[in-house]
Amino acid sequence: MNLDRTNLDPTTEAQPFLQTVELTKRYEDGTLALDRVSFEVGPGRIYAMLGGNGAGKTTTLNLFLGFIEPTSGEALIDGIATHVDPLRAKERIAYVSENVALYPHFTALQNLDFFVRLGGRNDLDREQLSAALDRVGLERQAHGKRLKGFSKGMRQKCALAIAILKDAPAILLDEPTSGLDPKAGMEFTQLLGELRDEGKAILMSTHDIFRAKQIADRVGIMDRGRLVAERQQAELEGEDLEALYVRYMAGPSAEVACSA
Amino acid sequence: MFSLIVRKELREILGTPRFVATFGVVSLLILLAFYLGARSYVHARAQHEAAVAENLRQMEGLTDWLQVRPSISLPPRPLASLVTGISNDVGRNVSVMGLGTLRASQSRYNEDPVLAVFRFMDLEFIFQVVLSLFAILFAFDLISGEKERGTLRLALSNPVPRSTWILGKLCGAAAALTLPLLVPLVLGGLLLVMSGVPMQSEDWLRLGLVVLAGLLYVGANLGFAVWVSALTHRSSTSFLVLLVSWILAVLVVPPSAVMLAARSVAVPSVDESLSQLGRLRTQLWAEDRKAIDTYLQDNMAEEPDRIETAAAIVGRFNEFFQQRSEARSQALEELEARLAEQRANRQAIQERWAFSVARLSPAAAFSVAATGLAGTALDLPRHFIDQARAYQEVYERFQKEKTGGRSSGGIQIAVRVASADGEEPREEEVAIDPLELPTFDYQSPPVAEVLRTAAFDLGLLALFNVLFFAGAFVAFLRYDVR
Repeated sequence: MNLDRTNLDPTTEAQPFLQTVELTKRYEDGTLALDRVSFEVGPGRIYAMLGGNGAGKTTTLNLFLGFIEPTSGEALIDGIATHVDPLRAKERIAYVSENVALYPHFTALQNLDFFVRLGGRNDLDREQLSAALDRVGLERQAHGKRLKGFSKGMRQKCALAIAILKDAPAILLDEPTSGLDPKAGMEFTQLLGELRDEGKAILMSTHDIFRAKQIADRVGIMDRGRLVAERQQAELEGEDLEALYVRYMAGPSAEVACSA
Repeated sequence: MFSLIVRKELREILGTPRFVATFGVVSLLILLAFYLGARSYVHARAQHEAAVAENLRQMEGLTDWLQVRPSISLPPRPLASLVTGISNDVGRNVSVMGLGTLRASQSRYNEDPVLAVFRFMDLEFIFQVVLSLFAILFAFDLISGEKERGTLRLALSNPVPRSTWILGKLCGAAAALTLPLLVPLVLGGLLLVMSGVPMQSEDWLRLGLVVLAGLLYVGANLGFAVWVSALTHRSSTSFLVLLVSWILAVLVVPPSAVMLAARSVAVPSVDESLSQLGRLRTQLWAEDRKAIDTYLQDNMAEEPDRIETAAAIVGRFNEFFQQRSEARSQALEELEARLAEQRANRQAIQERWAFSVARLSPAAAFSVAATGLAGTALDLPRHFIDQARAYQEVYERFQKEKTGGRSSGGIQIAVRVASADGEEPREEEVAIDPLELPTFDYQSPPVAEVLRTAAFDLGLLALFNVLFFAGAFVAFLRYDVR
């Protein structure tokens, strides 16, 4: 199956901040998790990776985070290959996981303080930490409470506040809206839009076609380790993304059926 | 970065209800161990002083030092109450005769068997059993738990070298576990002083070394727990592996090593030795009886008309008998020494075997180090008997001095000659002064000697720490964070 790719956005292609080049990952047990995947995300752009389980979205994020090494190809952050210099590459990214995990016996502010310092920001005072939590919409009375009683949405807000405070040029998000109620999902989407407007390069993996269509500047559809289709926001207005997704997710036979 | 991770680890461990509850229990147990140790010491001290006084009281009214059968007893020592080792299994009293073998009897467990049923809750038990479990409880999920919670992914998405992360976690966890322990230990020390336990500077030094050995042992458990945690991906798996390992290390390996050594190296029993000695004694007595008969026949036959005082005749007989007695004693002592040496050699081989295998477990290495430092290890009975033997020689010299060369070994014949009017001449009988009896002052082995003996096990515990921490470090560098 060849990559179904429309014209690329020239502004994105000019100076990609996040980039994969023929990125391939084969695990020790022989499973081919990623097969020659190439895409780019420029500053001030949101790229959504759509795909089912085992499509290769999380593997792509793991390669960007330096948790695994590519079999061939490379994942680049600001031109730095993550498997060559992972620490320098990580200085330029913030990460928000699917099930936001913070220390349950720490308060929201304590968690923020720790992770932000871990990210290299030692210059922030309590007010600035609180301001970031305000910005993501976490109520004031929750700032000093321990995380163990927080809902997923509240923890998601804390994680986003950490990403904001780290002030990295790129943000990686793994299924960020999964499990959120519609209101929290909408607030989250709104915040992502703001961060994009601040010039952040955002790469998110998601199942959520609606959110992807709503927020992403570019959508890549992945299936069994391959990037099978890519569309820009403008193109999606004239195309049924859901049908496109289902078409590729259902495999070549469905593709033929759809074409017919 | 490193200090940030250490502080976070400290805060994370110290802030959990799990820590507060467990630490409370452990603190209570440590204080209880000190309290019970102090009470036990004070009680044993009073018993010991009463026994010494009774020993002297029994001598009152005696007029001849040959009638004295002094008994010495092992004085209680403060550290033996905190790290009991085998001190309660060892006989505390030795009856000192002029000649002959010394045997310690009346151990504390022998007197109060009920105490042997559950043994004592001392510092060794608390470190070996309670604190090692405590370390495992707080470190089994140090890595795998962070992975399960997902915090590891988030943390390592930052520019943190893995080496810094694992070192920070190891140091933070070690500090979180050991520093709070110092509080009940210091309070326990104060409790000892307030209870009137006369701790000398040497005792404090020994106690400090026991605590150091304990901390090294807890550190080894912590390092091992982190290592296992860095080899597994689920905290439940990690906990299960650690629990099984703990059971093996604390409850299975040390006793199995002893059983294995006992089966591999046979040691002649004390009864066997006594039986051989008994046979020789019977044989020598039979020979002596013949010799006496011959002596009497020869001496009476030689000069039947010679007029001698009865005292001179008895004096010559005593001299002859003394020679026989000394020859007999020497033969018995030689056999006894040979048997004791054979037994000691076999025991030494058996101990070497048992300790070599048992030291595969850090619990055994700690136990050997702690009891060695406290002076309650396997060499306690040997040390006590050696000192009792030295006292025996002192007492024998004293007795000879007081009795004009006689000692209480063998048989002495005393002759009293009546005067012409039928009245026995009255020797002025003066009561002995019990306070003249040489005192027995038990000396524990000096710290330098004890430290030399314990150095191997302290080094072994340090080695376990290095190995386990290095294992945890390497395992984490290769850890799959996904």
